[in-house]
Formats: sequence, structure tokens, C-alpha cells
Amino acid sequence: MDNKQDRELHKHAKELINQLSVVLRTSQIHDANNIALVSSMSRLVAMINTFVEQENIITLELRGEFFYINEYRIRYSLEYLLNFDFLVREFKKRELGSVVFRNQIKSEDIKTLIRACIAATFSQEPFAALEEKMADVRTISVGRLQKVVEEDSYDVRKMVKKTYFNAVSFTQGVMNKMKAGEKVNIRKAKRVVESMVDQILEEEQMLLGMTAIKDYDEYTYHHSVNVSILSVALGQRLGLNRRLLTELGMVALFHDLGKMEIPNEVLNKPTNFTDDEWKMIRKHPVWGLKAVLKLKKFDDLTIKSAIVAFEHHMNFDLTGYPKVRKPLELELYSRIVSLADQYDAMTSARVYSRVPMSPDKALSIMMERAGTQLDPLLFKFFTNMVGIYPIGTLVLLDSRELGLVCESNQIFPARPRVMIIVDNKGNRIKGATVDLTEKNEREIFLRSISRTMDPNKYKINLAEYLL
Amino acid sequence: MEIQDDLKASKDVIQALLKSKKMIRMYPSNNPIYVKTLEDTYARFRDYFDYRDDLVLKIRQNDIIWENEQIYYNAEKEDNLALFFFKDGLRELTFKKGLAADEMEEFLKITAMDFEREVLDDDIVTLLWEKDFQNIQHIADDMVLADEDNYEVNAVEHIEEVTNDPDNILKAYQDAFKEDEALKDVAIIPLSDKDLQHLMKELERDSEDKTKKLVDILFELMYLAESRNDFDDLSVYFMNAVEFSMTQGDIPMTTTILSRLQDVLNDANVDEEIKKYFRKIISFAGSDSIIKLLGEILDAGQELEDKIIEDLVTHLDKNAVAPLMNILGELKSIHARKVVIDALIYIGPKDIMTLSKGLNDSRWYVVRNIIYILRKISDKRAVEFLLKTVRHADIRVRKEVIRALGELGGGGVFQTLRECLEDPEIQVRTAGLRALGTVASEAAKRIIMDRINDKTFKEKDFEEKKEYFEVISHWKDKEVFVFLSETLKKKSFFFGSAKSDEARACAAYGLGLLGNKDAISLLQKFKGENSKLIREFSYTAIKRLEHGQ
Repeated sequence: MDNKQDRELHKHAKELINQLSVVLRTSQIHDANNIALVSSMSRLVAMINTFVEQENIITLELRGEFFYINEYRIRYSLEYLLNFDFLVREFKKRELGSVVFRNQIKSEDIKTLIRACIAATFSQEPFAALEEKMADVRTISVGRLQKVVEEDSYDVRKMVKKTYFNAVSFTQGVMNKMKAGEKVNIRKAKRVVESMVDQILEEEQMLLGMTAIKDYDEYTYHHSVNVSILSVALGQRLGLNRRLLTELGMVALFHDLGKMEIPNEVLNKPTNFTDDEWKMIRKHPVWGLKAVLKLKKFDDLTIKSAIVAFEHHMNFDLTGYPKVRKPLELELYSRIVSLADQYDAMTSARVYSRVPMSPDKALSIMMERAGTQLDPLLFKFFTNMVGIYPIGTLVLLDSRELGLVCESNQIFPARPRVMIIVDNKGNRIKGATVDLTEKNEREIFLRSISRTMDPNKYKINLAEYLL
Repeated sequence: MEIQDDLKASKDVIQALLKSKKMIRMYPSNNPIYVKTLEDTYARFRDYFDYRDDLVLKIRQNDIIWENEQIYYNAEKEDNLALFFFKDGLRELTFKKGLAADEMEEFLKITAMDFEREVLDDDIVTLLWEKDFQNIQHIADDMVLADEDNYEVNAVEHIEEVTNDPDNILKAYQDAFKEDEALKDVAIIPLSDKDLQHLMKELERDSEDKTKKLVDILFELMYLAESRNDFDDLSVYFMNAVEFSMTQGDIPMTTTILSRLQDVLNDANVDEEIKKYFRKIISFAGSDSIIKLLGEILDAGQELEDKIIEDLVTHLDKNAVAPLMNILGELKSIHARKVVIDALIYIGPKDIMTLSKGLNDSRWYVVRNIIYILRKISDKRAVEFLLKTVRHADIRVRKEVIRALGELGGGGVFQTLRECLEDPEIQVRTAGLRALGTVASEAAKRIIMDRINDKTFKEKDFEEKKEYFEVISHWKDKEVFVFLSETLKKKSFFFGSAKSDEARACAAYGLGLLGNKDAISLLQKFKGENSKLIREFSYTAIKRLEHGQ
């Protein structure tokens, strides 16, 4: 297949996925005879049949967060971002992994598929219900969503850990090298960030989980990596492509390089800072810019990194520091990094706040800052990403169990996966993970969150549970 | 299917990769050898895919393994395909049956890069990663990325050292049932189409070049600077920004930087010590390296408004003169040379001495251009340097310098121009004559009139004679009128009267050019002259005078 054909196919594939999403969304609002629904269905049928004419068979498959058509991964474009996201959620809700279209299909076939999808939503075994309703349709077959088996999950976790600690180690190396006046290996930095981008694209929750584990002794390095991970994850939500995600990850990784100019005895001071010390702290964005500009010859990346290092403590409403004579319009990357920086800093024990906040409390404070200190639109994307109960949140369940949020739920933000650390009898346990979307036979949720608590108040080391 | 067949096919692919790695580096993509190499390599892949759906290559330091078979081995450091992949951490490469020709070409282009020599921020793994091929997958070992051995193990041990106190956890459990201050709920607000449109605008804006933003920040830093070190650093950043802009072909950005620096220099409130740093940056903008970049931009053939260059040159200092002269001799396009000449005309007066040194250049065309520039600058200080060039080996240079001397005038010029009138080359003599006309002084007039009166004058070619009279007619005074009238009347009855008639005809021509209508009555008398030449020239001169042409 030549390049032009390839691009053409890819374009049609994107449009097809988008149209399926439109039909499914419309069908949830309107009845079957609604003109909007009927016309969007006809369009979908036409698109499928054109495709079938060329390819004989179309297999639409969901793997991780991506759709594949006939084994081709269909890349996201911002144009279709919302509809793609919607369809991913709809597939997951029904444990639907693939839809195969064979031969020419009719409107009736699509109607059956849509009806089956809607009906499956209310079933305890959504995929089984869907499959059953589709049994008579010869031209369309469905497949179950492949779940990651435990062993694979263990391997993935190992890989995520490796990626995370490689990044921390590298960041430490960068700072040490810069202090010693040695050259920093930018090729390595890119590789580190690329690994993180890969993990964000495939195992976002696991890598985000790593950011919840805080090491106060190595705070600066962990913080740089955490901000990079959170920024990349947010960037992914914004529809940035892999190249831009790498760029964003790099600028975020280098955002705090100016801190290396601050003596450790100041950074690690157990008491409050003096005015002079605060003055020094407030200089780190300028020092950061200088450090970045000394890293290598100017190029796009150096320039963007320097700008972000300089602006990451400037607020959306142009307050903050450093103070400038002429107001600067903050760069998108600066606003992203600023959000990630605030969130990670607030949830860590660090120079500005000796007592770390719980993730949900940090989010709550950030919500108040949206529109003044923080970009409200980006904050909206950020909350959609971390959920109401970010990973690491300590929660009491209505089942009288105490647990830690270990995975957010993108579809039902109030129903994350929780690792139980105290059972309903008050016994300390470890390891059992429950999904708050689980229901009993009467369709009632087995567990819900009653309240959140601050794990730092009780000196709970999340590493014991999340690593 | 015989195992040996697919083994051979996999080996053939490796050999094709090795060959294409070299060829693609050597030849441009439109070269037939390049095209043939691609076709051959693709054919090897197709041959392999006749047997298998994917080609999985395990990469080791010195060998490449396929299905537990070593299909490539090289223990040398040079030209070692295995080591080339291995050193950046690449451990496995998989090519799938759907491999497209352009995908393969992109892959080969990556392998053809010289990662040791080229200044690249990317290694092979990064480039493969960025391409995100549909049918080429790779596995890389990220252990090479950690800065410290066993970092992960040690870090995890360290983090887990702080064990959770069971009492604290149980205390948390008990407290959980107590009433406490409730947190403000964070609402997940679904994203709307409006949000998305807003975001798209943001992303579009974000794709713009950020150099201007950085420059804005650098100027802010100028006001935040506290020490000499700060200013030293700032100077370097500004210089890098100038260099980067020029590398990107962004001349207006360089101009903006220089213009803003100039504003600082013009600010009376800024300390002189600080201004020194900024002068250094302006000086850098005129350095060899930056002017060379300017030359590359000019020669690249892209259309540039003259004003863009003019604006830049306005802000350059005199140190740019020598580098501009250097590129003048190297530029390929006429337009680019014209731009640099104009730049030197503007900037040259700041350093005539340096500019004049260009007259010693070994390339005649550079010397001629410098003479032209000096002529346009019209600074009499240049005369002493120009005079030395009058004897230049190339006649084109001599002509240009004579013209320049005529325009500049001054002390030593007459003698030189007078000598030019004796030059064996007619072009030089004509140039000298015209130059004297340009000088337009009494002395110059005298030289020309003396020449015409000289008995050898009649031996000159008609065209040269005519040139003399044309030049003398620049002096529109009575003396010249009388001189021309007398020359016209001067009949010769001896041998050589034809030559003499030529001078008389030219005098008639000169009277016509002089524009004095008093000459008409005299010219009328010569309309009936025996000499056809005199008749015609007199007639034409009358017409010219009557019609005021």
C-alpha cells in the first residue's frame, strides 16, 4: 500500500470511528426514528460499506486506549478527540473489545448493534448481553475486551517502576553534572521522557500512581519527574502528539533546574524561611532559565524549556514571580507545568509546605485557584485526568473499610479502584483491591466512598502499597 | 518450506540493509543508484515475507540473531551494523509483512545517519520512536538511561524503609468515623465543544516560534540583573538568540533584538558599564559567523524584501564591514551580491579604512565592487586608496576606479586622469575623459581643451574624438562656446583634412549639446559644407538646438 492510499485509509478509519461514536451518542438521546439518528446511521452504513468494498472485512478493535482498524492503530486527532474518548468509554463500559463488519451491511444491522449496546448498559454482564443480542446478525460480530492478565500486569508494573526510577536517577545525574560543570546528555533525556510518554499512553494510571509515592530525601529529583509525568498525562488529554508530549515532558523535567543553585541547608531547613531565604527561593525561576540556556546551543527545545523554567511560578492572572516590567502572556506549556508543579508540590512534603496535603485536598484548593492562579480550562482537563479521588487518596468506604485509591476511573470518576488497608472489622490488611463499580445482584453498588482522609496525618507511607 | 530458504532470505535482508546504509548516505534521493538500492532492499524484504509474516532480529553487541541463528557477525568497531544498533540500547527489531516501501525508506534514512559526527539530539531509538512505524517495531533496553547502577533497587529500599506504624493506620480508621471538616467537593465538569475550540486555538498559537518570547524575557532579566556575571551571562544569551534567529533565517528577529539593544544604548539612564555589554552583542551581530549566516540566507534563493536587510544593516556596527566584504566574494547570486553591496554602501562610511582594504582582494570582481561602493559612499578619504588601484591588472577594475576618481575629485586625481588619457586602452582613455567631465572643474576643462588642441588629436579615432567633444560640452560656459565655434571654423587645406573634418564635425556636435542657440547661425553656414560629415553633424546640432533636445 503506498503512502497516499495509507493516508486515505487512515482518514476514512478516523471518520468511521467518529461516526460510530456520533451514532451511539445520538441514540442515547433520541429514539430510533429520530431524523438525526436515522441520517447519522445511514451515513455510518455508507461509510462501513465503502470500507468493506476495499478491505472485505473491517475489524474495529480497542486495545488499551487506542482503536485499531484492521491492525492499523488509528491515531487521535484533536478534531475527533471528544468522540474518540466517548467511544473508548462506551466500549469499556460494555467490556466490548472488537466489532467486526463482514460483507455489505444494512441499516437494520447497525440498528441492532446500537440497540444491543444500549441494552447492555443495564446488564450485569454487559458483554454477554450484547453478544447474545447480536447472535442473529451475520454481518456484524463482537468480541470481548481483552483484560490484562495478572502476570502481565506484574510485568507492566515492573516496567513502569523501572521507567520511573530511571527518570529519577537521570534527573539526579543531570543536576549533579550541571553542578560539576559537566555536559548533560540530551539524547538520554529524550529517551527517558519517551519511555514515560509510552507508559502514559499505555499505562497512564500506573505511572500516575508512581507520582503519589513521595521521597522527601530526594524530593527535587522525584518532583521533577512527577511534574514531567503529570504534564505529559495532561498533554495527552489535550490531544498533543507523541513528539509534542516528549517536548512537554522534557521542558517539565527541566523546570526546576534553578533549584540546584539553592543550598541544601536552605532547601532542607526544618524551620520557616527568613526573608532573605525566600528571596533566594524566588530567584530559582531565573536561575532555572540560565541553567537551561547553558545546557546546549539554542534550539526550539532549549528556548521552550527556558521559558517554562522562568514562568512556572507566574500565575494565570499574571501575579506570582519573578516580577516583570511588562506582563508576559504565559505559554501553554508554562501553564501546564505550573498546574502539575502545584499539584505535586502540594501533595509532597517540601520547602513551601512542610506538611503535605492529601491529593483530594490539594485538588480542592486548586479548584479555588482556577481562574486566578491556574488556567481554568487546563484545570478542567486536569480534574478529568486525575479524577475526584486521585491516586493515593485515603478513603473510608460505606462498607466500613479503609483504603487507598490506586487507580482512577475515567468513566465513573467517583468510583475508582481502591486498595483496602483496614477491613470492616478494623483489622489491618494489605493487597486486596476492589473496584467501586462492582454491584450486587440487586444492581446496588457494593461499596461507595463515604469520606476522604489525609494519609499524611497518619504518616502512611504509600510506597508500601503502591510500589 | 525449507528452513534454509527463510534463513537465507533473512541474511539477504541484512546484507541489503548494510548496502543501503552506505548508499543512502552517499547519494541524493533522486539519484538512480539511490532508487535502485531502495528497490533492491525492498525486494529482499518481500522475498523474506514470502516465508514469514515477520522478521524478528535480536541485536547483540557484535551479532544479529534470527530464530537462534547468527545471521550477522562483526567484531570490528567500524561499520558494525550490530554495534550501530546495540550501542543506543536497541535490542530487538521487528519488521512486519505489511512493511510499506516508504516506511522502509524512512527506516533506512535513520540507519544512514552518522550519529558519531552529526550534531544530533536524537539517538537511533529516539528516531525510531518518533517515526512510530506501523510495521517496524523495536525493543530498547532503558538500563542505559539510569545514571547510577542499581538505582531502582536502592531507591525502592530507601522509600520502603519507612514502614507504616500499624497503630497510626488503626488510628486513621478510628478517626474516619468521627465528624471532621468536610472538603469542598471537586466537580468533574465534562468538556464541551467550546472548550475544545478554545484549546485548538491555544494549540495553534502555541505552535508559533518562541524566540521573541525568550527575547522579551532576556530584556526583563536585564532589569533583574544584579552583577557583572549576570550581564556576562545575558550577553551570551543574546548572542545565542541572534545566532539562532539567523540560523533559522529569521532576520527580522535579529533586527528586533538589535533595535531593542540600541534603545538601551540610547537610554541616558543606563550605566555606561552596562552599555559595554550591549555593544558587545551588537558587535557579535556583525561578526564573521553571523554575517556568514546572512550570506547563506541571501544565497538560499528565498524572496526577501530589501527592507528586511536594510533594517538589519541599520543596526550593525562597523565591525560588520570586513565580514560583509568576505561574503561578497563568495555569494553565488547576483541579487545577494547587490544586497551586500547596498549594505556596505550604508555601513562602509563607519570604516572607510577597512573597506578600502578590500581593494587588495585577489578577485577582480570584489575589487570592482568595493570601488563601486566607495564611489557611492563618496568619501574623499577613499581617494588615496583608489589611486593605488588605477594600475590594476583587470581593465574592468581600472574603468571603475577612474569613474570613481572622477566623481570623488581631489588633489592627486588630475594627474592620474591625465595619465589615463594616454593609456593604450581606449576604454581606459574614455573612462578617464568621462571622469574629467565628472570632475567639472576649470582644471579638468583645461586638460581636455589642451588635448583637443594638441596636434596629435586628429589621429584619434572618430568615436574618441566625439567623446572629447561630448565631455567638453558639459561646461556650458562662454569659453567652451568660443572654443567649439573656433574649432568648427578651423579649416585644413593640407594632407589629413579628412581627419581635421572629423574634429570639426565633432565640434558641431558639441555645440548642439551645449544648448546655446547663438550657435545656430554659425552652424547654418556649415550645412552646405563640402564634408558630408560636417554637413550632417551641423544639421543635427541645429535640430537639437531648435527643438531644445
